[in-house]
Amino acid sequence: MTATVMTLPIARSATCIHCETAIPSGRRASQFCCTGCEVVHAAISEHGLDRYYALRDVATPARTTDRGYAELDDPAFAKLHIQEDRGAATSALYLEDLRCTACIWLVERAVACVPGVASVRVDLGRSRVDVRWDPVVARLSSIARYFDRIGHPVHPFRGLDRDLMRRREDRALLVRIGVAGAAWGNLMLLAIALYAGAFGRGGMNPRDTAAFRWASMLVALPALGYAASPFFRTAIGALRGRRLHLDLPLSIGIAAGLAWGAVDVIRNAGDIYFDSLAMLVFLLLVARFVVQRHQRRASSAAELLLALTPSRARRRDPATNAVTDVPIEAVVPGELLVVFAGDRIPVDAIVISGRSALDAALLTGESRPTDVGPGDVVHAGTVNLAAPLEVRATAVGEATRVGALAATIAAQAGRKADLERLVDRVAARFVVVVTLAAIATFVAWAVLVSPVTGAEHAMALLVVTCPCALALATPLAVTLAIGRAARAGILVKGADALERLATPGTLFLDKTGTLTEGALALASWRGAAGVRPLVAALERNSAHPIARAFLDGGTLAATDVTEQLGRGLAGRVAGHDLVVGAPPWVAGRASSSVEMARHVDDLAARGETPIAIAVDGTIVAVAGLVDPIRRGAREAVRALAGLGWHVEILSGDDPRVVREVGAALGIAPERCAGAVAPEDKEARVRAARTRGPVAMVGDGVNDAPALAAATCGIAVSGAAELAIEVADVYLKTPSIEAIAATARGARETLATIRRSLRRSLAYNLVAGTLAVCGLIHPLLAALAMPASSLLVFATAVRSRAFRDGGPA
Amino acid sequence: MIVLYLILPLALGLVVTAVLAFVWVVRSGQLDDVDTPPRRILFDD
Repeated sequence: MTATVMTLPIARSATCIHCETAIPSGRRASQFCCTGCEVVHAAISEHGLDRYYALRDVATPARTTDRGYAELDDPAFAKLHIQEDRGAATSALYLEDLRCTACIWLVERAVACVPGVASVRVDLGRSRVDVRWDPVVARLSSIARYFDRIGHPVHPFRGLDRDLMRRREDRALLVRIGVAGAAWGNLMLLAIALYAGAFGRGGMNPRDTAAFRWASMLVALPALGYAASPFFRTAIGALRGRRLHLDLPLSIGIAAGLAWGAVDVIRNAGDIYFDSLAMLVFLLLVARFVVQRHQRRASSAAELLLALTPSRARRRDPATNAVTDVPIEAVVPGELLVVFAGDRIPVDAIVISGRSALDAALLTGESRPTDVGPGDVVHAGTVNLAAPLEVRATAVGEATRVGALAATIAAQAGRKADLERLVDRVAARFVVVVTLAAIATFVAWAVLVSPVTGAEHAMALLVVTCPCALALATPLAVTLAIGRAARAGILVKGADALERLATPGTLFLDKTGTLTEGALALASWRGAAGVRPLVAALERNSAHPIARAFLDGGTLAATDVTEQLGRGLAGRVAGHDLVVGAPPWVAGRASSSVEMARHVDDLAARGETPIAIAVDGTIVAVAGLVDPIRRGAREAVRALAGLGWHVEILSGDDPRVVREVGAALGIAPERCAGAVAPEDKEARVRAARTRGPVAMVGDGVNDAPALAAATCGIAVSGAAELAIEVADVYLKTPSIEAIAATARGARETLATIRRSLRRSLAYNLVAGTLAVCGLIHPLLAALAMPASSLLVFATAVRSRAFRDGGPA
Repeated sequence: MIVLYLILPLALGLVVTAVLAFVWVVRSGQLDDVDTPPRRILFDD
């Protein structure tokens, strides 16, 4: 035996012990690819949990935030998210990066590793963890710190009520499915005896036949009456509201079949269709359940993103100067808060001290950072990019600018009219046709033979044309499409969104993020090229987004670096004095030339951001920075145009930049609007809606009203929570290619639905004709009805929707 | 075929029992999360 079993992977030369990815060149001395993996590995070893490495089936780089989670112990948080009951506290948390069996094991080990924890239950599908602990021994923050240290950052689980309601709905539907399934199976057994008796030699003893028919009725009436009650309820509601709904013809078929079947059993003559009806109810309920599950998955994925928004603020005590983490709910106006670089600003506030750059893209749509200093107003939702800020809260919660936006959107979302569903339109005509046909059948056979024969044939018609396949067509096609789309990173919130996207109209793009890479890059360089390594050495000392554009090349080191936020950097590299930054600021500290000044104007006119570089007191070069266009964006725009969409750009960015981007993509200048305020975006969307369907793509909170106003709102990755909430589609990759794939997929899905509807209507035409002629036998119905459903199922499975469409 | 009149009620009674058992399973929440428990059996401690 030479095989060795190792629970701990041995360090190989160039891969990380924790995640097995290559270790970057800068960290060769380490056995880990990043600090995250190192910390997580240490935590796992410390608790003696090395078995994790044997259990897991995917290795991914770990992330830990090293946070204290003190805000979870605050009374304001406890009131909202912690339930106490007889000396035990319980709370639900969202954990990031829950992926596999090993994650479950590691997280549930908290019982053994954190004193005072009574139980930990992971729900992998919802990324949810229910924790139960003894509040005397443990605190929630220490439990959260354990989860964080093993690589699963923690967030409070919001929307507990909604989750509870959904569970109740799911359970009720499951019970109905179980009842209908049991009824179907047993009714088939009873029906087979009856068919065998009817076709067998010599027939069946009439007394036994009656017994089987009574047994069938005893199973069918209560079971199907209960299981099909949701259909009856919707049908009655639709009748009251004078609307036509697909559940109406379904209910008529089921009710007529059950009622006439009962009459037939009691009068001991005529055919019964209980087994076919049970199959119908069972299939319909299963379809409804599958659709519900899929929609839940899409919306809970969106909710998970919402939970990832920050829920704490750092409060500074003016007396002691100590900084403590508090939940956002506990902040009141007038308090002093500290916002570190990389943090999102939790409230509307005024800067007291510190200078930094803010990313306000979520609020204003402007992709370039804005500089702030003492006295400036900062808004909740913006991100502090560069340096710590001390701010005084002026408005919190709903009183903030974001909160006010949320209120307008909530009001608007309620007004969004529902599209008339394709299936309901078909169902409306279907009801009329079938009812008229049934009446005609009854009258004709009553006159020709007898009223009882007339009633029998009319009932057979209603049962056999009961539009099961019609009802399955949409859910099947949509569910398969939504599932495939989700695998491609496109989360579709329900069938309506696909229907809305299938008809082309105007597509408004928010430039930021969807068309461009989203990070500044060096586009042009005017003047001395030899100084580039020097600039790289200097910029390596800055965290400003602009600095990242210069980082290529060079191993030089800079000394005496000083940074003027929002202006530039100065320092010494390889014996030279270097100043790099905004041209006016650099010109104030070095001599410029006419040529360089012309370069600056030239680059600015092209929509680039000019950066001046001075070496030893003279400006020697000017660099132009742009946010580069995504690869494949041009093809995607052309593909969208091919589908019939008019693509327009609607952005808060500088009009020159927007036109430049439009030109690169082949979008006419008059269709590229820049410097558009949030209110104007909404107005333009409304104006476009008078001309036809409008799809709006956006990511900022400022886009949310426009997303809600559009026929179909599309939010992209990194979007603000409000934007995700009001959007109908959410894209994990913020690319125009994904939008094109979604539009194409939606169109394919609708084509599949239409194909299925045509096929199921063709079945109904054949079966209906047979029934009108009095040629339907229960056995024929029992075979033909599921066959039509199978046909629709095959059509949906073979659909091309989202099959090859998704982005990488 | 007099035995039918014994077996039919018996079979129906069995169905009712099975349905009641299923209702209990659903109500007790055993089908709420079907992704996690099949993985949990892999832990040997």
